[in-house]
Amino acid sequence: MSRLPLSALMVVMLLPASVFADLQVVVLEGLGGEQKYTEQFATQVDAIERAANGVTSADRVTVFRSGEFSRESVIGFFGNLAGRLQPDDRLAVYLVGHGSFDDHEYKFNIAGPDLTDADLLDMLNGITARQLLVNSSSSSGAIADRLHGENRTLILATRSGAERHATRFGQYFALALSDATADLDKNGIISAQEAFDFADRQVTDFYARNGQLATEHARVEGEQAARFGLARLGPLSKPTLADAELRNLLSQRDELNAAIEDLRLRRDAMAADAYQSELLGNMLELARLEEQIERREAELADEN
Amino acid sequence: MKTRLDANRRRSWPSLVVAVAALASLLTTNVVIARELHYGAVRHPELLACDQSSWRGAFDDAHACYRILLQADVPAEIHAEAAWALNDLQLANRLFREATAARPDDAAIRVRWGDLFAATHQDAEAMTIYREALNIDSDNAFAMLGAARVLVGGFDDAANTYLEPLLTDTRKDPGARAAAWLVVARVSLESNSMTQALHALDEAEAILDTTDWPPLELYALRAAADLLNNMPESGYTAKALEYNPGFGGIYAIPAHFHVITRRYRDAIALYQKAVDIEPGLAQAHEELGINLLRDNQIARARKHLETAYEADPFSPATVNTLRLLDSFDNFRLINDPDLPQPGLLPITLRLHVDEAAVIAPYAVTLARQSIAEFSRRYGFDLQEPVIIEMYPDHEDFAVRTAGMPGIGILGATFGYVIAMDSPSSRPPSQFQWGTTLWHEMAHVFTLEATDHRVPRWFSEGISVFEEWRSGPNPGVRIPLTVYKAMQEDRFLPIAELDEGFVRPTYDEQVIVSYMQAGLVCQFIDEAYGTDKLREVLYSFRDGMQTGEAISVALDMSPTDFDGEFSRFVEREHGAVLANLDDWQRMQQSVGQYLDDQDWEAIVGLAEHMISILPNYVEPDSPYIALAKANEELGRHADALAALERYWQHGGYDPDALRRLGGWLSEAGRRDEAIAVLSAVTLVDPLEQELHGSLGDLLLAAERPDDALREYTIALALDPHDKATAYYRMAQAHNALGNREASQGQLLQALDLAPNFRPAQRLLLELMRADGGSEQN
Repeated sequence: MSRLPLSALMVVMLLPASVFADLQVVVLEGLGGEQKYTEQFATQVDAIERAANGVTSADRVTVFRSGEFSRESVIGFFGNLAGRLQPDDRLAVYLVGHGSFDDHEYKFNIAGPDLTDADLLDMLNGITARQLLVNSSSSSGAIADRLHGENRTLILATRSGAERHATRFGQYFALALSDATADLDKNGIISAQEAFDFADRQVTDFYARNGQLATEHARVEGEQAARFGLARLGPLSKPTLADAELRNLLSQRDELNAAIEDLRLRRDAMAADAYQSELLGNMLELARLEEQIERREAELADEN
Repeated sequence: MKTRLDANRRRSWPSLVVAVAALASLLTTNVVIARELHYGAVRHPELLACDQSSWRGAFDDAHACYRILLQADVPAEIHAEAAWALNDLQLANRLFREATAARPDDAAIRVRWGDLFAATHQDAEAMTIYREALNIDSDNAFAMLGAARVLVGGFDDAANTYLEPLLTDTRKDPGARAAAWLVVARVSLESNSMTQALHALDEAEAILDTTDWPPLELYALRAAADLLNNMPESGYTAKALEYNPGFGGIYAIPAHFHVITRRYRDAIALYQKAVDIEPGLAQAHEELGINLLRDNQIARARKHLETAYEADPFSPATVNTLRLLDSFDNFRLINDPDLPQPGLLPITLRLHVDEAAVIAPYAVTLARQSIAEFSRRYGFDLQEPVIIEMYPDHEDFAVRTAGMPGIGILGATFGYVIAMDSPSSRPPSQFQWGTTLWHEMAHVFTLEATDHRVPRWFSEGISVFEEWRSGPNPGVRIPLTVYKAMQEDRFLPIAELDEGFVRPTYDEQVIVSYMQAGLVCQFIDEAYGTDKLREVLYSFRDGMQTGEAISVALDMSPTDFDGEFSRFVEREHGAVLANLDDWQRMQQSVGQYLDDQDWEAIVGLAEHMISILPNYVEPDSPYIALAKANEELGRHADALAALERYWQHGGYDPDALRRLGGWLSEAGRRDEAIAVLSAVTLVDPLEQELHGSLGDLLLAAERPDDALREYTIALALDPHDKATAYYRMAQAHNALGNREASQGQLLQALDLAPNFRPAQRLLLELMRADGGSEQN
């Protein structure tokens, strides 16, 4: 098995933690208009809030419910947030509602004056933390160019402002946050990328199975979607890192995961049989390690 | 020529440029497109001289004559006729346009121009020109004839407006009158009105005897009448060939009547004779190709369709069918069994590559079950392999069936070949593909057991009855529109029931006839026994018509039968009919209550509706409303019970059944959950998670073979979560003792998701079971 330098190992070890580190979640629920959309948006916001509370502390989750906030109050909130968040922090913002685009300006529909793309830009530009914006509204693609930023990842339900119909993307994205089939790498965490992939696939399948032309095409802009963990499946386990045996096992696991990743990168240069053989060996070892980790964690839990 | 094409053409084969080039090349050959007998619509002596050669079968002489005429000093419209005869249709069109521009008040020129458009399948343009001609000369007999022919081709009763003057006014041109009677004869033969047909033929003959127009079409229709009267060797064939040894129509016209009576192989034989003696007869090549396709003779079919295309690139049916053949590259052939096995009838499936792995297992199982059932019940063993084709694109299925898109049926059987919509051709819940396949398999039996002599109504009746009796979703279910028709006493006398299919007189008559036919078969089976039902079937093989078959088998007149049948309908459905109007009012109320979310109101009303019409299981069924209402009221057990009753009465909405399956599974009622979800596969098999969930239940029920089937199908559907799909496969293989296969699937799962704990655990379990070694 090849070994990675310690610095790389440290990065590997820190990955799971950094996915959630200091995550601030803000959810804005727009006006539904018709009852069915009002109910749909409320359901989505509930799901997002539940997921958020599973990955960060409750005081870092802020939900602006439809009809209970104004443009001014949101702008003021983000102004305060700018003063609190640090560059190492993460900010995930969800827009759940209807959007519109008149070929010049995007608006997110809320009670009173709507939030415009210029408002969103100002709100987010004032914050130095790494940012994820999930906008599941109609015409959300209109903000792609304007809100593009180096430190910012955008998940948008439409590819442009011209896709003006209410989208299905949002409900599938919210669903992904509690659906194990969205967790493709089976690490118990739903990343933003995984949620996007799940929702995108569900949207495509819906239109295909119903014989309809798709009126929405979701997109991701930015490179950080895989590094934003938005939901956790199952209870949070808190390993007792004070235990040397457990620490050692976890270290071995991280090392082995890195080796597996390295093997997968070398796959194309290997004969199929050789790859399968080495993969099997690594997987058996990983499985044993996981078994030992679970056993040790159970022992520690009993002692406590 | 106007640019192709009208709305009926979905596709175009090579571009018009290529088509024109193809046409130009024909100028150097001896092939001449069959220009319809014009019966005097044009009377230029030099043209008629050429026509006479053509009508007598002297095609080379005719060809040379038309070429000379094309260069001669004659009016433009005569040049147009010559160009037309030489198959230069673009030139003909241009010359007709010039002639019309030069003499705009000459109706006769317009009529022939309209005939050119009609001959090249552009009926709308033809009708416009005929109307222009009639505006100029309201008595123009040939304009009336042309318009009538176009309208008859579209099954439009407005044709009678144009035919009647030709049939009743003896001052009209005799050629036009004779041709009009021949139109009537053809329509009468198509609707099996033999007396009317023979009278029309007599009238036509009497007129033709006083003219010099060729009696070829007359002879051909006489031969068709003989064929329908079970005299396939007609004396008129020899008469026609004596007149014109190259008249392919003497075979092609009767062949059409084999097609509409579903005797496709007999039609193939006649069309082949037609093209053997008249190789340039494009329409015969087209029909031969389409019917060879119905007999699964793909290569031969393509050859004749390509010949038809070279001669007539304007035919939508030819172009569409050739494009369909090209699309067969996207289909997979699956044979069951893989290799021939003695005693096991081969079944071949032609399925789209994207769906083959999903549909094939279910289709083969259903087909085999139906073969076993129908062989036993109807005392007939199939003699040839069965071919089952399913089309994801409904218009492909329509072209396969009728040569043209735009038909509304779900499936068609041509003998041993079945073509039908694939489940993906329509949104889920719109049709039950499994039931449709069962229906079509019954047609295979009724057609083949009677050598294709069974009338349409009885074949449909057996198929509908078998859906209800033995199909994958049994139960008598009648659409509301049919109940309405029953209320209005719209059922036909048994002796006329075929008309309801062939010549419907109102929009819903076809579906009403389907249901009536099913009820008739149910009635015969229940009142007189399956033996008698079988006896009626075989009466048709022996050449009897409906009335005679009923009389002989059931020992009663058709009229008496109608009386007995009416009493049966009243017994079985009288209560529903008496309450139908109230039921429909209640249904509207339920809809309103759903909008208002008045759940308590729905509960009472839905139960009452169910008591009246328990078998109503369409997507707006009161069962579904009842389940929703109970769920909203927190009465989960009642909601489950409502959906269960829905399913037991044949409900097939996939969303409702998936919900029911989930609830049953949560309640620990695993076997019922399996049954419910299995039913969904016969409606909506293309939803990936259905197969995963069903497989999980089957695995838990210790049915690993069935579980593996479901998991394999799930994987074939390209699931989003492949790691779970591979893990499920591994579990099934493990349960079957296939450890190596299990390990292979696990590695695929773990390759995608190394931290997948359940897969890790199973891998360790496999290794330990293998002797304790966890070393690679």
